[in-house]
Amino acid sequence: VKARHLVWIRRVTQSLFLGLFLFLVAESRLPQDVYLDYARAFFGEADLRLEAPVTFFFRMDPLAALTTLLSGGTLIKGFLWAAGVLALTILTGRVFCGFVCPFGSLHHAAGWIKPSLRGERLLAANRKAPSQRIKYFLLFGFLISAAIGLNLAGLLDPIAFLFRSIALAVVPALGNGLRSVFEAMAASDYKIVQLLSYAGEVLVAPVFGYHPQAYQTGGLIGLLFLGVLFLNRIRPRFWCRVLCPLGALLGLCSGFTLLRLEKDAAKCSSCNLCTKHCQGAASPKPDAAWEPSECVMCFNCFDVCPEDALAFRFRRASASNRGPDIGRRAVLGGLLAGVSLPLFGRLDGRVDKVEDPRLIRPPGALAEVDFLEACQRCGLCMKVCPTNVINPTLAEAGMSGFWTPRLIMTQGYCEYTCTLCGSVCPTGAIRPITAKEKTEAPIRIGSAFLDRGRCLPWSGNAPCIVCQEHCPTSPKAIYLKTEKVPRPDGWEISVQLPYVDLKRCVGCGICEYKCPVQGLPAIRTISAGETRSPRNQILL
Amino acid sequence: MSFHNPLTRRESIKKILQLSAGAALANVADTNGLASVFAQSPADKKFIIEAVGRTEGYAIKELVRKTFDAAGGVGRFVPRASVVAVKPNLSWARAPQFAATTHPEVLKAVVELCQEAGAKEVRIVDHTIHDARQCFALSGAGLVAKETGADLVFPRSTLMREMKIGGSRLDSWAVFTPVLEADVLINLPIAKHHSLSTLTLGMKNWIGAVGGSRWSLHQDIHQTIVDLAQFFKPTVTLIDAVRIMTANGPSGGSTADVETKNTLILSNDPVAADGAGAMLFGRKPEEIGFIRLAQKQGLGTYDPAKVDQRQVSV
Repeated sequence: VKARHLVWIRRVTQSLFLGLFLFLVAESRLPQDVYLDYARAFFGEADLRLEAPVTFFFRMDPLAALTTLLSGGTLIKGFLWAAGVLALTILTGRVFCGFVCPFGSLHHAAGWIKPSLRGERLLAANRKAPSQRIKYFLLFGFLISAAIGLNLAGLLDPIAFLFRSIALAVVPALGNGLRSVFEAMAASDYKIVQLLSYAGEVLVAPVFGYHPQAYQTGGLIGLLFLGVLFLNRIRPRFWCRVLCPLGALLGLCSGFTLLRLEKDAAKCSSCNLCTKHCQGAASPKPDAAWEPSECVMCFNCFDVCPEDALAFRFRRASASNRGPDIGRRAVLGGLLAGVSLPLFGRLDGRVDKVEDPRLIRPPGALAEVDFLEACQRCGLCMKVCPTNVINPTLAEAGMSGFWTPRLIMTQGYCEYTCTLCGSVCPTGAIRPITAKEKTEAPIRIGSAFLDRGRCLPWSGNAPCIVCQEHCPTSPKAIYLKTEKVPRPDGWEISVQLPYVDLKRCVGCGICEYKCPVQGLPAIRTISAGETRSPRNQILL
Repeated sequence: MSFHNPLTRRESIKKILQLSAGAALANVADTNGLASVFAQSPADKKFIIEAVGRTEGYAIKELVRKTFDAAGGVGRFVPRASVVAVKPNLSWARAPQFAATTHPEVLKAVVELCQEAGAKEVRIVDHTIHDARQCFALSGAGLVAKETGADLVFPRSTLMREMKIGGSRLDSWAVFTPVLEADVLINLPIAKHHSLSTLTLGMKNWIGAVGGSRWSLHQDIHQTIVDLAQFFKPTVTLIDAVRIMTANGPSGGSTADVETKNTLILSNDPVAADGAGAMLFGRKPEEIGFIRLAQKQGLGTYDPAKVDQRQVSV
């Protein structure tokens, strides 16, 4: 294959995988035209499921598979894909980084579309730098931390990072912006503007939906995403070279690659074009040894060399490759960080000592210790949740649980028969459950409590049965008793007063979501009573 | 009927909606088109039809057809090339067997009969309580729309508009505009128990035709129902009582609360329809606050002597 062709194959492959990734992000939601055969619904057998394989990229991610294996001892569903990627890396180097990884492609595109460096400065930026050892430090930190029981890899895993950024920041930001434009247009008195508003809305609904989305810390996620993209102006593919723990893992595996860069020093005219086009800062120029662990297999050097001094060839391991340049500090620092993170992370007591009442996990979530061993904080459950109730945590799960999922009942509620979040969780931190199991077991995620001082009928202010009418269990966990209460003007009125039967409450939170006392409702859900925790129980 | 908003604006939304549905038609622009939803049905004579499916395994569509035939046929209410808005109750993401939502086969039959009568377009409109996608999926309405080609309107903020309701409790409120923007409006509620208003029938179904902070309507439920009922004037009301929910309403969730009645009630008088609906639960119409109040405020009558009554069966 000619070098020119290789580079174009790479560009096409990168575009296809990036496109597929974005398509799968967009598909990670209940579609507007979801149909269920009501003959099947009559027998209660059908659960709503997504059609697209939205976890595809997570299955290909060896870092997610390895950290989950180390921390929880479990092989995640589809781990063979990840094993395949590792095998491919051992044979051919980091082709995953150069051809497949959507985050890598995005960085590559960012540096390619708007290059910020030229000439000597570009040359300097593309020389291998000691900072490239940072990714090994991060990798060791994550692996050791996972082995001790805290899986933090998802914070910087490129697949999880990109999914979280697009799904929880970019899509909602664009969607909410479009929504305000459409609302302004729909309120216009000009017919053509209204027509455009409805047409535009129908057009974008498959991706952005019809309702505004919000995510706690979404702004932070978006700013970090922009920040990481901006780093490409300092060095091309800064993320891949310096930060990416998955890149580091694949770098460790690529030491024995059969696909090698072969250099002919005699032909080299020292034009430095190879280094200027190098995406991994992997020393392609014949005056230094090629670094297979840093090379992302973009084949740019092969393509641009005017003297044919560089060529990628398959060779059996007669010639030895240069091993990964890790550095002792990265190993020791990673060890130290990996040991301290799980230990320090639990010092706020959120795992072992106190239950945060606000930490309501999705239905089917594992017990907290197991959950933190598996959760990638990727945001897939948050993206698919039809009511937008699942949000990334800030402090509710403690330091070690940052950005793990939590239900905010003032923002949505857990639909009684919905089991989408568990069906898409890539690592099984949320078990795949059926609606039958969820409602009949039942799987409780918390309990509701009345705040009688705020409650309209209890305080004698007005009749209201909204919490009771929305309660989805049968018999209802919220029941009414007609009693006399004093009104603010002193007269007694006879109203229906709501009570909660904790034995029946599953903690779905729809009472809190629909309560007329908005903001801080008169009935609120806390995590106590959640099925997943043997300790956090109320009733005997 | 007077509106807070200028007529031109309302008329324009209507046209835009029809345009966006991809059609241009003649009778929308005609000056009578707008008034037809709010006018009395073709004949001013009040009627009520009670239809019962008595034979084992009867076809629901036949029952619906016979019901309309007893009132002069669907064509009497649905002119050719008209736009029909059907307002079922799809509030909850509950499967049909729980009787929390309008029976999908009744909905399908109504849509098909309208299409057979020559309706240009049939729209299924409801502002659901649960997430609309799951309501449409579980209640079967999504499949009905897919099979019949009816337009299932997705509730959203751009379709809500603050309007003058002119009720004694609700002066103005956000209205789900597709309910109004049609030549024919068919109210297609399910008969259910309700923990606050005792029952939910036709007039209460209009709570699903408004937006805003609907939860606060419960603070004066009977008056707000009547306020909405004097604003939304359906061409006919068809109460689905094929099966009814007798307890734990309005959301239910257990088949133990469901009773099979195999009954449909059709009327051009919303109060008469709800009155007959109440009788199915063994209640007198005057026992139900909003029915009593609606008659008192002149929206119709539940006195059987004042309406033309007919009974049919399949």
